Amino acid sequence: MTTSGSPMTVQPPRVVTYGDSAVLVILGETVDPEVNAAVHRLASAVRAAAATGMPFGAPVPGYASLLVPVDPLLVGAAATSDALLQLAVRALEHRDDGDRARREITIATRYGGEDGPDLAEVARHAGLRPADVVELHASVAYRVYMLGFAPGFAYLGDVPAAIATPRRETPRPRVPAGSVAIADSQTAVYPFHSPGGWQLIGRTEVVLWDAARNPPALLEPGDRVRFVPSES
Amino acid sequence: MTFEVLDGGLLTTIQDGGRPGFGHIGVPLGGAADPIGLAVANIVLGNDPDAAALEMTMAGPVLAVHRETVVGVGGADLGGVVQPGGRRLEPGAAYRLAAGSTIAFPRLVSGSFGMRCYLAVPGGFDMPVVLGSRSTCLVAGFGGLEGRALRTGDVVGAAADAPGAGTTTARGVGTVRRNATGATVAAATVRVFPGPFGGIDMHALDDLCAAVWTVGRDSDRMGIRLEGPLLQPGRGMVSHGVTWGTIQLPPGGGPIVLLADHQPTGGYPVVAVAITADRPILGQLAPGQQVRFEVVDVEAARAALVAQRKTLDELAVAVSEERRWLDSAGWAGA
Repeated sequence: MTTSGSPMTVQPPRVVTYGDSAVLVILGETVDPEVNAAVHRLASAVRAAAATGMPFGAPVPGYASLLVPVDPLLVGAAATSDALLQLAVRALEHRDDGDRARREITIATRYGGEDGPDLAEVARHAGLRPADVVELHASVAYRVYMLGFAPGFAYLGDVPAAIATPRRETPRPRVPAGSVAIADSQTAVYPFHSPGGWQLIGRTEVVLWDAARNPPALLEPGDRVRFVPSES
Repeated sequence: MTFEVLDGGLLTTIQDGGRPGFGHIGVPLGGAADPIGLAVANIVLGNDPDAAALEMTMAGPVLAVHRETVVGVGGADLGGVVQPGGRRLEPGAAYRLAAGSTIAFPRLVSGSFGMRCYLAVPGGFDMPVVLGSRSTCLVAGFGGLEGRALRTGDVVGAAADAPGAGTTTARGVGTVRRNATGATVAAATVRVFPGPFGGIDMHALDDLCAAVWTVGRDSDRMGIRLEGPLLQPGRGMVSHGVTWGTIQLPPGGGPIVLLADHQPTGGYPVVAVAITADRPILGQLAPGQQVRFEVVDVEAARAALVAQRKTLDELAVAVSEERRWLDSAGWAGA
């Protein structure tokens, strides 16, 4: 069944009704890279099935589940659930494909100072020097678990455990666009000026979202992302 | 172009049937918060029900009419009026506007339900299509008119080659509004499916349906904050895709009902999800309005949607028959 790699704790997938306009295919209960990879394989399979006439809308990946829009006049149809369940089982079993082909995107980042006003706080929390925090944050090829919050906002993980830091107690009313931030074991770049509660450690000039670009989002589910310290 | 904006109003945006298919890159569905209000404004003109229209909120805009046109009005009654003359622009009908006149939608008519009104023009408002839609995406600043709300000095309208002729006052549209949502200021009830219950306290659904909730002030196109008893949320699921109508229970706060501009993913516990047929009610809930929730089954949700679509289809037929009659009577272009 499992074709390669280390064993993952697999639970049987579940398909649950999510209102009358969607179903949620649940592959796991935790933030887990292997489960998330299966979510993205399932998303591809659902898109392919939709292209051949299955009544699915464009799926939305979560950390451990996939939301599949369905026609409200068809929801609850057993055939739809069965088809999704079969695709989900297959996505959990076949784990050797895809990952090697992922794009790796680098994001040049100015750490600390005005660009990263919470770098000192993250360092204090970790019991490290700010320079160590930067080195650790830039040491990982992060996985795009999913997007949400705003167009182009990608949830990246996992941050090295030593620098994982909880959200700020009081969110900022305005986080500058391009801010690089940490919340628990996740890291992200804010595509727009927006309110936000994450710890800001740096800033980039890279444009995360451009509606006129194709594709408009720089980062897509399943991509790999590296942060590279830069002076400008 | 048809209109010059003399005053943008509280929040006036271009909206259509929305922008499906981009949730995986963080893009909200968007589109009219009250899809029935949008559909009625369009159908009375003979437009596609999802054509791009103006969505006005509580206090609407003041618009100078630079070119003679017909307009369709749907959704809540914001006291629309034409000057000079003072003719009312009530929702559920089409009106002919003379060049040189001014229209205004000053405030919600006392005692009437809702807070969002739609203004349609023949063929829809002429706006670029971005990611498959003309809707304004406020959070990312694209779509509609430069991704923002209308303001003084903007010029908007139908495409230059759009059909401007024909006039109509569609019959029975008041009935459409009532049948389409059934909501009034006295009693708005939103029907829901339970769950999905990922780690949620099972009593929360009973408590949600037992209470009478008040719509909070900090509500917008992304979601409605409800005020009422405190519910026990439970631990919830890790962040997952959510839908328009999802009712979340953030810790320590009132429930949040997601609307058209909601974020595509969320991690708060979900107690219930409103049925598709009741999205128009959600989109019309004004701050201070009271609302209840009621659990229904799949069959009831389906029946409600079928009935709603049938009502709109009948309206479209009535409008087209009336036009044919007017045309045959030599009225066209009058």
